[in-house]
Amino acid sequence: MTATPTATAKQQPMQPVPALQAALAAEHTAVYGYGIAGALLTGGDRAAALADWHTHEQARDTLEAMIVKLGATPVAASPAYALPFTVNDARSARRLAAALEDGVTQAYLGLVAVSDTTLRTFGALAMQPPANRAAEWRGSTVAFPGMPGS
Amino acid sequence: MLAASTTTLPLFLALSACAGPNPLAGPPPLSSDVRGLFDAVTDEQNLIWIYKRTMASYSAEAPPLSALLAEHQAHLAQLRAMIVEPPGKTIPSTVTRKPAVPGTAATAVAQLRAAEQAASTAQLRRLARAAAPLAQLYASIAASEATHVSALTALAARSPR
Repeated sequence: MTATPTATAKQQPMQPVPALQAALAAEHTAVYGYGIAGALLTGGDRAAALADWHTHEQARDTLEAMIVKLGATPVAASPAYALPFTVNDARSARRLAAALEDGVTQAYLGLVAVSDTTLRTFGALAMQPPANRAAEWRGSTVAFPGMPGS
Repeated sequence: MLAASTTTLPLFLALSACAGPNPLAGPPPLSSDVRGLFDAVTDEQNLIWIYKRTMASYSAEAPPLSALLAEHQAHLAQLRAMIVEPPGKTIPSTVTRKPAVPGTAATAVAQLRAAEQAASTAQLRRLARAAAPLAQLYASIAASEATHVSALTALAARSPR
């Protein structure tokens, strides 16, 4: 025996449906959150928020269809979500948009842990647009998008 | 929900053939995870080399590029930390591609952007056969490189031609 796997390496792969449901929940959160953020933004930022809102609606619909195809019931949106911080002006609205995109990025990274290679690739590709949008709203990139603490 | 993070990712198996190795048969072959990590390390080293050469040649572009370079150095450190060097093998430390720096800042930045895009695509190709935590690291680095492509696209648009 030359090496032993660590506890993490022995973890069972994430199952597809829970991972898809987590991504869907993140998209629901983003759709709700952009409604808050967009109302506080003006000009180009407002237009960007509106475009991003529609993008998340489309992603939500895609995930719902994928979950139904796997024989599960898509998780429903909550009537309201607790915001991670007070959002009451344009600056905090931009921070919220970045946080929403970070949450979606992290959720899609969860899909990369499933054993199904098609879903893995889907998750890896799906996390790139929200990582880009997060960088745009934040004004800077991060080294490890989607990773906790990044 | 995530199976991995930059702080909890495990050190990886160095060898694939763990059961009953024959000590006279020489080192067993590297596992696909370690081969993938070696390739990823080399890709990061190549990117870092191009960044440094570009920054040295076009100092006006250095400030915006330095943040992206720092992220590649973080990628390299994380990838190297995943590897326990197998007997007879060392983690690659040489740069394998050294393209000439183009004659204008804009084309130099465009070269960086192309290198980032290629690196991101290469990370995605490694996903399928990697263990889940390693696949997540590749995906995160690929996403980081995708954000660099966007940042470099914006930078190229305002660089001297």
